[in-house]
Amino acid sequence: MPDRNLQILMGALSVISLAACGSASDRDTQQPAFSLSDATDSGAQLALACSGCHSAASGAIVSLNGYTREALETRLLQYKSEADGTTVMHRLARGYSDDDIAEVSAALAPLGSAP
Amino acid sequence: MTSRFNRRTLIKGAAISLGLVGLPSVGLSQAKPNIVIVGGGFGGASAARLLRQLMPSASITLVEENAKYTACPFSNLVIGLGRPLDAQAFSYTGLESSGITLAYDRALDVDVTNKTVSLASGVTLPFDRLILSPGVDMRWGAIEGYSQDAAELLPHAWKAGPQTRLLREQLQAMPDGDTVIMTVPPAPYRCPPGPYERASMIAHYLKTQKPNSKLIVLDAKDSFSKMTLFQEAWAEHYPDHLEWRGAIDDGRVSRVDAATNTVSTDFETLQATVINVIPPQKTGEIADRAGVSDATGWCPIDPISFESRLQSDIHVIGDATIAAPMPKSAFSANLQAKVCAVAVARLLSDLPPQPTVLANTCYSYTTPDEAISIAGVYTNEGSSLSSIAGAGGVSPLGADKSIRAAEAAQAVHWFETITSEAFG
Ligand SMILES: Cc1cc2nc3c(=O)[nH]c(=O)nc-3n(C[C@H](O)[C@H](O)[C@H](O)COP(=O)(O)OP(=O)(O)OC[C@H]3O[C@@H](n4cnc5c(N)ncnc54)[C@H](O)[C@@H]3O)c2cc1C
Repeated sequence: MPDRNLQILMGALSVISLAACGSASDRDTQQPAFSLSDATDSGAQLALACSGCHSAASGAIVSLNGYTREALETRLLQYKSEADGTTVMHRLARGYSDDDIAEVSAALAPLGSAP
Repeated sequence: MTSRFNRRTLIKGAAISLGLVGLPSVGLSQAKPNIVIVGGGFGGASAARLLRQLMPSASITLVEENAKYTACPFSNLVIGLGRPLDAQAFSYTGLESSGITLAYDRALDVDVTNKTVSLASGVTLPFDRLILSPGVDMRWGAIEGYSQDAAELLPHAWKAGPQTRLLREQLQAMPDGDTVIMTVPPAPYRCPPGPYERASMIAHYLKTQKPNSKLIVLDAKDSFSKMTLFQEAWAEHYPDHLEWRGAIDDGRVSRVDAATNTVSTDFETLQATVINVIPPQKTGEIADRAGVSDATGWCPIDPISFESRLQSDIHVIGDATIAAPMPKSAFSANLQAKVCAVAVARLLSDLPPQPTVLANTCYSYTTPDEAISIAGVYTNEGSSLSSIAGAGGVSPLGADKSIRAAEAAQAVHWFETITSEAFG
């Protein structure tokens, strides 16, 4: 039962928060085995903030659709470390630890990218 | 309690699939919890939508007194630039078709002992968990002479809708050469940079349509959100059309008179044709009825679960909360709603809520095609929300126009995203 709860929790988070992640048809429904304690200490909760601005449609704010975990992590770490960066993303990225960035990148990346 | 910092997650971008292919029709558990949400704004609507996904078998009722929601963000562009008010309106049909029950009614009271909400129609809704996102009410009378009746003559336009239209129409009807006054309250109030975005939009209107008129902003504070950036823009664009007076320059308004169209500070009484009074605010009344507001007029919450500090099983999100340093913004309300929804789903599944990192971004227009932004990042570990040092901040001063134009375009995108997050 707890595992099932968690699957639903995590799966559902993606509907709203991670709507940028691609079309339903691309996805397969295999679920990894979750343990209870991983539910909200995961990147999925961190990613709730991303979906306030990033939607599935790219425009003045880029869609996160289709980026690999590595690409997201690299870019976010860049934002964090560029000392003279002034964009909204620079200002936000400075608030996240490298672990946070790894977790949120993993949560945002499509299935199939390297763990 | 487990710290979020001591372990890498297993989720790996995963689980995403389940949500995207549609949720299973079976519910979380055998139990069918009743979740009632009061207030269908950025907080309440977002919470309802995520909870619908998280708990397919729960009964979710959203109580909202208006059939259509009129969004405040971008409403300053209605006032100053003539953006259609329709562009601010959102219906709840998307929520209804996802299986959220809409009660178009006013919540009158909360019985915390029996865990029910009573509605104006006489209906009583039982709840296992109640989420309140009622937004703000005006503190009528906090400025002497400013009542609900006075607001029909001296609009606040701090809840979007007819008040927004009234202020726009008053500006249009005003003869060129007359004066506009705006009064700004002390913090905390909904949307800290909102008054200054509005001042910019009104000044732009005057500059282009009523060049002999002027806006005087009377502020109860001496400093404000994105102050140097706004002042830079005002000096460049509106030197003849906008005058800002802080508390130190006798900007604090204590009395207004709708009969004579006058505003009184400590030392002076000023007359104007159009007076926009942004009054001091407090939590929406239902929070008082539920006993979740304190002497400050706002609602103390646990920063992880957004559960009230004063009543168990009742959560409060959005403008109504004491969440500083997180501002009272639509962005904050939406994110708090999502964090709260996860917490409520976990609590109803006998799982403890867990801490995370929250953020906020707010854009403000200074001209029709230039905007500036403020961002913040917050942790909810500890007894209250707190800013993460070294993060956040505002757009650069003295920046190229292209940077301002880029942020204006981002603002448009943000509005589309946040309204579809909330209303589908
Ligand atoms: C001029 C202006 C500009 C703004 N610009 C921005 C911006 O650019 N970016 C940004 O992030 N934020 C902005 N904001 C702030 C934003 O509008 C609020 O922070 C946001 O609406 C808060 O959401 P909420 O859910 O707490 O309250 P609301 O959105 O106000 O929703 C409350 C809802 O509850 C309903 N309600 C209340 N009591 C009851 C009851 N008893 N029964 C039934 N229904 C009830 C109300 O009808 C309403 O629909 C702006 C605000 C203003 C005034």
